[in-house]
Amino acid sequence: MPVLVRDGQIVADPWMRVEDGEATRGRIAPLAAWRRAPEGGGVWVEGAAEVDEVGEEVRIAPVVAVRFPAFADGRGLSFGALLRSRYGYRGELRAFGEIVPDLTEYMLRCGFDAFELPDRRQAEVAIVCMTRMTDHYQASVREPLPFFRRRAAGA
Amino acid sequence: MYQYNAFDQRFVEDRVEQFRDQTRRYLAGELADEQFQQLRLRNGLYIQRLAPMLRIAVPYGLLTAAQLRALAEITRKYDKGYGHLSTRQNVQINWPKLEVVPDILADLAKVQMHCIQTSGSCIRNITTDQFAGVAADEVVDARPYCEIMRQWSTYHPEFDWLPRKFKIAVNAATADRAATRVHDIGIEVRLGDDGKSRFDFYVGGGLGRTPVIGSLIREGLPEQHLLTYLEAILRVYNRYGRRDNKYKARIKILVRAMTPEKFRQRVDAEWQHLRDGSSTLPAEEIDRIRACFQPPPYADLADETARLAQQRLADAVFDIWMRNNVAAHKRPGYAIVTLSTKATGVPPGDVTDEQMEAVADWSERFGFGDIRISHEQNFVLPDVPQRDLKTLFELACTQLLGQANIGLLTDMICCPGGDFCSLANAKSIPVAEAIQRRFDDYDYLHDLGPLDINISGCMNACGHHHVGHIGILGVDKRGEEFYQISIGGNQAADASLGKILGPSFERAEVPDVIENILAVYLDRRFEGEAFLHTVRRIGVDPFKEQVYASAG
Repeated sequence: MPVLVRDGQIVADPWMRVEDGEATRGRIAPLAAWRRAPEGGGVWVEGAAEVDEVGEEVRIAPVVAVRFPAFADGRGLSFGALLRSRYGYRGELRAFGEIVPDLTEYMLRCGFDAFELPDRRQAEVAIVCMTRMTDHYQASVREPLPFFRRRAAGA
Repeated sequence: MYQYNAFDQRFVEDRVEQFRDQTRRYLAGELADEQFQQLRLRNGLYIQRLAPMLRIAVPYGLLTAAQLRALAEITRKYDKGYGHLSTRQNVQINWPKLEVVPDILADLAKVQMHCIQTSGSCIRNITTDQFAGVAADEVVDARPYCEIMRQWSTYHPEFDWLPRKFKIAVNAATADRAATRVHDIGIEVRLGDDGKSRFDFYVGGGLGRTPVIGSLIREGLPEQHLLTYLEAILRVYNRYGRRDNKYKARIKILVRAMTPEKFRQRVDAEWQHLRDGSSTLPAEEIDRIRACFQPPPYADLADETARLAQQRLADAVFDIWMRNNVAAHKRPGYAIVTLSTKATGVPPGDVTDEQMEAVADWSERFGFGDIRISHEQNFVLPDVPQRDLKTLFELACTQLLGQANIGLLTDMICCPGGDFCSLANAKSIPVAEAIQRRFDDYDYLHDLGPLDINISGCMNACGHHHVGHIGILGVDKRGEEFYQISIGGNQAADASLGKILGPSFERAEVPDVIENILAVYLDRRFEGEAFLHTVRRIGVDPFKEQVYASAG
């Protein structure tokens, strides 16, 4: 069973991810199934999905779960960043698939707030990884101002 | 020189502790091999054929004397007392133990250095003209832009897990000494009518298996848009670059598949969302970084050309060194000196701890404690008073750094090859040495004129063989090492890719083949015509005929 980390803590997962079937309340279903009955259900998209084709419609989902097919595949990072910044998505943005604790910080900065780790130990490591770096140079979804602007503002 | 502030310092220290923890978890069996591999690569650590190799970042090739001394100390303390200057202006050490790499990173952090993103599928060290800031033909100082991009590209949240490695080079001088046309992004800086910098973006150039010259996709971009435009390019690449085949994953393949025009449209569409966003550079930020690269306190020196002429007359080798290794400086009375690592019998780019310390000392005695590394794997002292050139030359000779061969045949670019690298098909260092031994006469070399021989041990082209005037590529033929020879490549602004002569040769044949190629050139050249131009004029056939007739 994957262990869910949300907002920096291990939490019980109120959602169930299903391979097929309806996306009813409490379920996260693949995009095609979710489209048939989008009310209240979570949607699962591939990191490689074209955000411009799905961004508008998935905005209403309480959970968008982005699958990372391989941990070093950074497409999901762009997908998440764009869904937040360009489509204004405000619900839970979840990363699942091959999730390595050390990469959760990148995801966090790209707007993800929930992560499915393989086990409790890795979930604990991920929580530490997410706070190890004090600060970063660039702007990100999480920190909209690059450091040079915050410095200039006297931060 | 950019000096770390508290933010930069804490950043590299955080990264050291992060890597210490990753190494500990790996050794405890908590991180899988393939996971740790990707994490260690982003800290410059390869596991090689014989031992790990650690690639230390030298941002845009700039070092202080204190940093170079620290590198010398690191090679002594953790390695075998020597390092290797790479074609990305970095320094590599070949024998560190995995367990101590976090300690090496901690030592580097003490002198404002690190290994971040020197390998892996991410934005690599940004390179530029090794003469930036001092070259007589400079249009703008490229270094502040390199530093701005270094900060932007370091641990970028979205662009650290790209389809493949990503290399950016900047040129801001009349001559392109940064090989910008064979980079994933090559940025050419020029001055607009308002006296401000404008950027031309060349995208999708590269060497490797599929050599391509970059396509111009944006002309005259004003400087405040530098980062947002880069983000647009990187975002298009991150989303659409191929990930199914690592040999087709570089941006050049994407640009070619989409066509440069479609690629440009896509980038522009993305940029419309990003332009004028928070990553837009305020003038104050550009000024803040630029202030770190103010000229050092130059003295008012008289031009010493007359005195130098006498010294040159009295010493023929010094005269050749002056001609090949000394470049014109912006300031009267000063010169730029390239110290060649290409001594016969020494792998190109290899330098001992003692040589590093000597160069650090000279940089202070004959300059302001500034050192550069060129992508041709040599050291550069940027601010040498002309009156001290003779003394420096004599000192350099005592350290095997006085070879007068910059730009000549024996100043070869060469990757570590099969002696060290697990990717290589063939050795490259012994080939370089055999060529250096064959052509060791300065008069002959000088008569040949400018000639780049670039050697790569495999298709990955770390030795830039495609853009060598003569390129040598190690290939594997049924388990045997063979060498494919191409001619007519060039790395400058009129970049071109070499054409392969024909079937490959055994290692022992290579010096003869080079000699045959040069015989055709000497026979067919016009007065004063460089090798490259003769090849361009007469084509490869005459060379082919001579080489294979002799071999036959």
